[in-house]
Amino acid sequence: MDNNNIIEVKDLRINIKIDEGTLTAVRGVNFEIRKGETLGLVGESGCGKSLTSKAILGINEKKCKAEGEIWFEADELGRVDLLTLNPRGKEIRSVRGKQISMIFQEPMVAFSPMYTIGNQINEATLLHITKDKKKAKEISLEVMRKVGIANAEKRYDQYPHEFSGGMLQRALIAMALVCNPKLLIADEPTTALDVTIQAQILELMKSLQKDFGMSILFITHDLGTVARMCDRVAVMYLGKIVESAPAVEIYKNPQHPYTQGLIGSVHKIGTKNQERLFSIEGTVPLALNLPAGCGFYDRCHKRIEGVCNVYDPSLVDIGEDHKIACFACTGCPNAPKNQEVTDK
Amino acid sequence: MAFFKKKKIEKDESYYLASQWTLMWRKLKKHTLAKISMVILLILYLGAAFADFLAPYGLEEFSSLYKDTAPTKIYWSDEEGNSCAPYVYKLKKENIKGRDENGKLYMETVVTEDTSEKFYLTFFVEGCEYKIFGLIPGNIHLYGLVNEAGEVDRSARINIFGADRYGGCIFSRILFGAQVSLTVPFVSAAISFVLGILLGGVSGYFGGWIDNVIQRVIEVLSAIPSIPLWLALSAAIPPDISVSAMYLYITIILSFIGWTGLARVVRGKFISLRNEDFVMAARLAGVSDFKIIVKHMVPGFLSYLIVNLTLGIPGSILGETSMSYLGLGMKAPATSWGVLLQETERLADVAQCPWKMIPLIFVIVTVLAFNFLGDGMRDAADPYK
Amino acid sequence: MSESKKILDVQNIHMRFNSKGICVRAVTDVSFTVNEGETIGIVGESGCGKTTLGRCIVRAYEPSEGTVLYTAANGEVIDFLRIDKKTMKEYRKEIQMIFQDPYSSLDPRMTVLDIIKEPILANYPKMPKAEVEKKVMDIAAKVGLNTTYLKRYPHAFSGGQRQRIGIARALVLNPRVIVCDEAVSALDVSIQAQVINLLHDLQKEFNLTYLFISHDLSVVEYISDKVGVMYLGKLVEYAPTKALFSKPLHPYTESLLSAVPVADPTVQNERIPLEGEIPNPANPPTGCYFHTRCRYCTETCKQEAPAYVELEPDHFVACHRARELKLRGFSYDE
Repeated sequence: MDNNNIIEVKDLRINIKIDEGTLTAVRGVNFEIRKGETLGLVGESGCGKSLTSKAILGINEKKCKAEGEIWFEADELGRVDLLTLNPRGKEIRSVRGKQISMIFQEPMVAFSPMYTIGNQINEATLLHITKDKKKAKEISLEVMRKVGIANAEKRYDQYPHEFSGGMLQRALIAMALVCNPKLLIADEPTTALDVTIQAQILELMKSLQKDFGMSILFITHDLGTVARMCDRVAVMYLGKIVESAPAVEIYKNPQHPYTQGLIGSVHKIGTKNQERLFSIEGTVPLALNLPAGCGFYDRCHKRIEGVCNVYDPSLVDIGEDHKIACFACTGCPNAPKNQEVTDK
Repeated sequence: MAFFKKKKIEKDESYYLASQWTLMWRKLKKHTLAKISMVILLILYLGAAFADFLAPYGLEEFSSLYKDTAPTKIYWSDEEGNSCAPYVYKLKKENIKGRDENGKLYMETVVTEDTSEKFYLTFFVEGCEYKIFGLIPGNIHLYGLVNEAGEVDRSARINIFGADRYGGCIFSRILFGAQVSLTVPFVSAAISFVLGILLGGVSGYFGGWIDNVIQRVIEVLSAIPSIPLWLALSAAIPPDISVSAMYLYITIILSFIGWTGLARVVRGKFISLRNEDFVMAARLAGVSDFKIIVKHMVPGFLSYLIVNLTLGIPGSILGETSMSYLGLGMKAPATSWGVLLQETERLADVAQCPWKMIPLIFVIVTVLAFNFLGDGMRDAADPYK
Repeated sequence: MSESKKILDVQNIHMRFNSKGICVRAVTDVSFTVNEGETIGIVGESGCGKTTLGRCIVRAYEPSEGTVLYTAANGEVIDFLRIDKKTMKEYRKEIQMIFQDPYSSLDPRMTVLDIIKEPILANYPKMPKAEVEKKVMDIAAKVGLNTTYLKRYPHAFSGGQRQRIGIARALVLNPRVIVCDEAVSALDVSIQAQVINLLHDLQKEFNLTYLFISHDLSVVEYISDKVGVMYLGKLVEYAPTKALFSKPLHPYTESLLSAVPVADPTVQNERIPLEGEIPNPANPPTGCYFHTRCRYCTETCKQEAPAYVELEPDHFVACHRARELKLRGFSYDE
């Protein structure tokens, strides 16, 4: 494991048992997050991005079975594969909430309406840092101020319904940061917010990242916020990462047809209006009984018959920190087997 | 049984073409407890429907000799220990004389088995006349006793669940009681259904002061404790009326309380559906209010209503049982499960004749089955989530 | 756009909701005009009244005050809000709506065929069955639905396809104005582009007028000819798209534009912070509604509500200082 990496996900697979059979929602995902960096995990609904993040914390539902390895540089345990830990055990709980914490899309549901905000932020402090209630309150207040909650003392004793959406998201971030985590997983943290509030929250997260020196896994479907937030971007489609590259690179020079389509289908304000938006035809297939070959085959405009629908491409380096899983672009359609070897 | 086989449902064309009810049925079939409950209830209802045939004795047939006797012992082997066709002995009265510890003479009558004659257990024997559903006449019963000569003998009885205080066969009476206890809830549910939809619909659709009045009435009605209300209402029933009139009164009294909950559900659903986008879309398309209600809103909450009714049936069953138990409902010789349970009023009865508790088992099983079925239906009620 | 024939003239619309003694002003004094064949974007943050405004215009709500003058196909001008039920049914066909949520806007108990058919049956009950079917087939094909799947129920379709069904239902009566209430917001990015393109094509084919209500500024910028910005129930600025995005005249518009995330990491536009939260619409501030959060606020702004004036041709704004302020927008490269 590279010493620079805070977390390494290797060949993560998640199967979900549903009535109709087994749905492979995540089909071999590999990525790593370096210390202090923000990785954006981008994809459309159902691509498995949320499942991946929840697998890191071991909080997926019971019917989801995760396989593979998730190596995390934990404080007490040292380097540990999170998937081998008992999901209800002591070890994972020392990691979850303390070293890796998470903020969710809907701040309204993340808080219990029955307890004050202060109470709920304290919960993590009391669990992981100190048993002293007075001290815990001080820590909580400090974090609340840091996330820009004005009048923290007063806000501390208020209930969630007295907070607006943006404030609640700040409180949620405070709750996530109170234990000074090494990795923050942000699952669509700004999707439910208005643009002006969204911009505030993104800026807040960026400045807090500097203060706390943590890494962020930023999960979203919104390419705009990714551009604003992330150092590196991994694009997911149908349970696989199809392209990963530094943010600037991926916007300037997208290689995978899906990435290209995704970026092309978002209109940029200030550019000349094209007659039509670029759009990817078709819809995302259900990850049930998937045919062999590349998952994007049906919708791809660069597909090569006889190759793309037969072999499943894996990620290959094509440049500085730029990886892509596509036969049509990497130009090794005849040697998919060799490619698999080189990849390993 | 294909019904119980775990079938893999593919997302195929039949799924895409499936209507709401088909989807609900598919979902319900996946609920194991609900499925088992359905089978149990089916058996119980079939039992009630064909009670005349299944029960060895009619409602009027009891024998004072047999009163409070335990389930008839069935012998599977003869005196030498060789197995033979199952047979029973009839009972006889015997006077026993003896002296107690003070030396006083006393005489006691005990009922013992008369081992002089065997009566064989046989299927499809002739018994009392009946008419199934009041239509199909017959006199063949599922089982009964014949003497060694092969003739039907009414002097011996087989009470597989024992006998009650009048000497009637409890098994037969459970079956006849089911005819009342299992159908009263349905009739009262039907009345509640109509009242609930009407009043709840009016309340939800018009709103305003009508809504207010109906809601207050519901609140007052549901605040009245049910047993005193039954007492009051049954006091209004003339004392000597026919069994069928009694039946009607019970159902009306029960549904009088049942509709309130339903009306609330209907009102709530009406209000939430009124704000659905598809209802607004229909309105914008120029569809008339009446059509919107019939085509969009009623189908939208019908499934919830059925679930609510199913979950309400156990309450009605218990209601009828308690009413009859309290002596407000059916009276012997007419029977219902509540009437049968009257026999367990005193602890001494239960201690000496534990078989009198058997009707209770039927009540519990039925109530549980309806609850489980309702539970499964609730999960299936909205197949789109 | 073709000829600038006025189709909608919205004048001083007010919408107040009374609940438990509290009066919430969802829409306050909104006026604007729409020309035939145009797309008008209405943007604003949640709770600004844009959805309510849309619903007032299609008369799903009865506005408390105001008029919506509609120029019918035959040239007749009618007040859409003041016509009786019978005439209403006649004109209702011409103003239709597309909803945000592709799941709740289709009755799950009806087949797609029945859903698209419903408006025809309601308005032309005497139309022969074969003709109805043909009309449904035509429109379904137009919006890109596979006509062999029309017997299916909505649960068989994905979000994007459901939205196409919703569009087909709105189009089947041959409307002239369509109010699209967040019509693409619930869809995935790649599907969003498909639906936007479809709306675009249909507009050209049928000369439709769109009222496109959305919180997504980049979509609105792409699709609209004119854009209105709403804040706390009021229309604060209304102008041709390019003018509004490149040279906003209202400080709220400026902040809103600066907050738009641009899908390009090299563009790191400086954000103009918007302090505080949106005030409670039941208890709006005095003077200019925006003054509590405006960084250019003066005493006048706190006292007097600014007039809504046409400062530049076709560019309306409601701000006391609009003339003097030099506000920042997007720079257009051409």
